[in-house]
Amino acid sequence: MSEKHSDETRAAERERRGGYLGYVAHEVRNPLSTALWSAELLARMPPEERGGARGEKLTAMCLRSLGRVRQLVEDHFLCERLDAQGLLVRPEGLPVRELLEEIAGRRSLDVGPVTVDVAPSALVLADRVLLDRALDALLAAAGRERAAVQVTGREEGRQVVLRLAGRAPGPHSLEDPRRGSPADPKGRSLALAVARRAAAALGGTLVVEGDAFVLSLPRAEAYTASPDPAAHP
Amino acid sequence: MNGPLVLVVDDDPDILDAICDILDGEGYRVARARHGLEALERVDEEEPSLILLDLMMPVMDGLAFAQALRARPLARRIPIVVISADGNPQRAAAVGAQGYLAKPFDIDALMSHISRMTGGAPLHG
Repeated sequence: MSEKHSDETRAAERERRGGYLGYVAHEVRNPLSTALWSAELLARMPPEERGGARGEKLTAMCLRSLGRVRQLVEDHFLCERLDAQGLLVRPEGLPVRELLEEIAGRRSLDVGPVTVDVAPSALVLADRVLLDRALDALLAAAGRERAAVQVTGREEGRQVVLRLAGRAPGPHSLEDPRRGSPADPKGRSLALAVARRAAAALGGTLVVEGDAFVLSLPRAEAYTASPDPAAHP
Repeated sequence: MNGPLVLVVDDDPDILDAICDILDGEGYRVARARHGLEALERVDEEEPSLILLDLMMPVMDGLAFAQALRARPLARRIPIVVISADGNPQRAAAVGAQGYLAKPFDIDALMSHISRMTGGAPLHG
């Protein structure tokens, strides 16, 4: 690779990363604004009015906004740690159907109805926490604006292939979160950024096929990745 | 309530609720829109004195809205204050805005902008 080409590649990477971090900052500033304003309005209210309807509305807004900030901050730092290969992956055999149903139950207020058509015997070998975050993020992306989500799964050779169909992914949604995550009052703007990185860290792939996200993960007995414990801080 | 009418345009429902609550508490009349297209409808219906405008929105973004607004003879002089989380004041100039507030801005800074551009704070209530 020529020096000029290398410089151009680095410049393009800096621009891409700068754009991504700018997007993260943008997404955090909106709920941070409403958290600050609602708290300030509450502080300015006479104490006897805080228990009234307006006080309750502002309190709910403050809590909701802080929840969005928390989700965005957690997702952002997970992405950063995955980019830096700074997470220790602890693979274990996991029943993917059970995990999907658990997450769907936990997120029942955030996404539309979720149907899971995956054999109970389907096992993937994956880090439980990371797989949970990946599936949670994908359900959030497919189920945004409370769209119904249908998850189907099948075993293909050494992999389990999951297909999550719901709200259609935008074009280039996996490469550019600005395109894949329209304004989201739940703080899930980085969901696809998390899912894409987590899939790779789990030794799998994530692609968009038509109106669905397709996540392929190693079957339990076929897992060959060898995580590097020294990479864990 | 007879205060100046302020149109707030933002796709984030909590941002809309919070700013409308603030303005209502200060005696302004408030109209709201979730994107540029809806904002054009509000402008035609209600003739606001000032527009608080987010830039990044679905359907019609802030830049496209401002261009469409300037093409309307009766509405082209309505002042715009950009309220944006992108941290780039130059984008306010790009839409021909008279003011720029970077989220998260102070409530007092918002009121100062609005008061100045609408000719003074309204009487409460």
